[in-house]
Amino acid sequence: MEVTYLLLALAMLFALIATYLAIVEKHLVKAVVFSAIQSIAFTLALYLLRAPDIVLVYLPITVGIYPAAILFLIKKTEEVEQP
Amino acid sequence: MKRELITALSLTATVLVVAYISTLGGGLGPLFSDTRPLAKVFLSTTLDPNKPMFTAMSPEGVTAIVWDYRGLDTLFETAVFYLAIIGAVAVYRDVSEKVVLKGGGVGLSKIVKLVTKLLIPMNIAIAISIALHGHLTPGGGFQAGAAMAVVPMILIVVFSRYFLLEVKISKGLALALRSIGLIGIAFTVFLPIIIALISGVNSYIMQNQVKFGAPFSFPAFFGDSLISGSLILYNLFELLAVTFGFSILFLLLSIEESLVKEQMGGEGSEH
Repeated sequence: MEVTYLLLALAMLFALIATYLAIVEKHLVKAVVFSAIQSIAFTLALYLLRAPDIVLVYLPITVGIYPAAILFLIKKTEEVEQP
Repeated sequence: MKRELITALSLTATVLVVAYISTLGGGLGPLFSDTRPLAKVFLSTTLDPNKPMFTAMSPEGVTAIVWDYRGLDTLFETAVFYLAIIGAVAVYRDVSEKVVLKGGGVGLSKIVKLVTKLLIPMNIAIAISIALHGHLTPGGGFQAGAAMAVVPMILIVVFSRYFLLEVKISKGLALALRSIGLIGIAFTVFLPIIIALISGVNSYIMQNQVKFGAPFSFPAFFGDSLISGSLILYNLFELLAVTFGFSILFLLLSIEESLVKEQMGGEGSEH
């Protein structure tokens, strides 16, 4: 039980750091990668919270489909966020 | 420097407050230790042939809730997804996907292509098993569709969009297959009503098993296998709808921006 809590805390802390980096990053491709890392941490947290159904949908959507869609969109605009 | 300090302090404070509320404060309820009363209701009825009026005949509580107990919620979610894709199709209505950019269509290196060729059949098999086992183990139609939608996305990235055109996977085909999925879902929703009208008994929309005053029921078993009535049908049709919904999106998004602007006219072609 304690191990679950510890892993949960670590996963969420990891997610928080990745989210912060995704927000402050000006290079949009890097920001998408940080966002995908945050999603991996969330996936681990959801698995620890015993929600395998959500894990199965969260993993392909947030690590595969969503970064790909955003990368296609970034390719259509600019790679670096303008101030 | 001051700005970074404020950011660090506010992030730490947020983490501490959320951690306190969710664990020691008991904000999330009995985490891991006890089953909530609402969960007990669903767990005790989801697969219990002795309670025919309440059961969904599926050991997978989540799929039972998603497609039976709260079926209409999922139906409207599917409708929202359908409308979102229709929006994308409408934006790209004048753009032909058949136009080829000069020098395009190469894709990534041979190594990546070979690894992808090995991975794609596994991905398809896993997605289909998630859909077909959705009423028995964690999974379901949307989960399977999301896993399957990764296949066209990887094919576009690794082999380029022109590879999909070569193997005849076009926007039209994807739209047709997605429509088959949606029509299948609609058919399964209205099937109890149609059968009730023919046989002269009562039934409800999206009815799966017998309800009070409505004796209609989808078969819970196929031979010896548990198929949980309408749940397996919903999962299969949702797999089709979601897979090809996302495929349409990727087929449209992967068209080069210069070609899109050229064909649409508008501001892009002026300069």
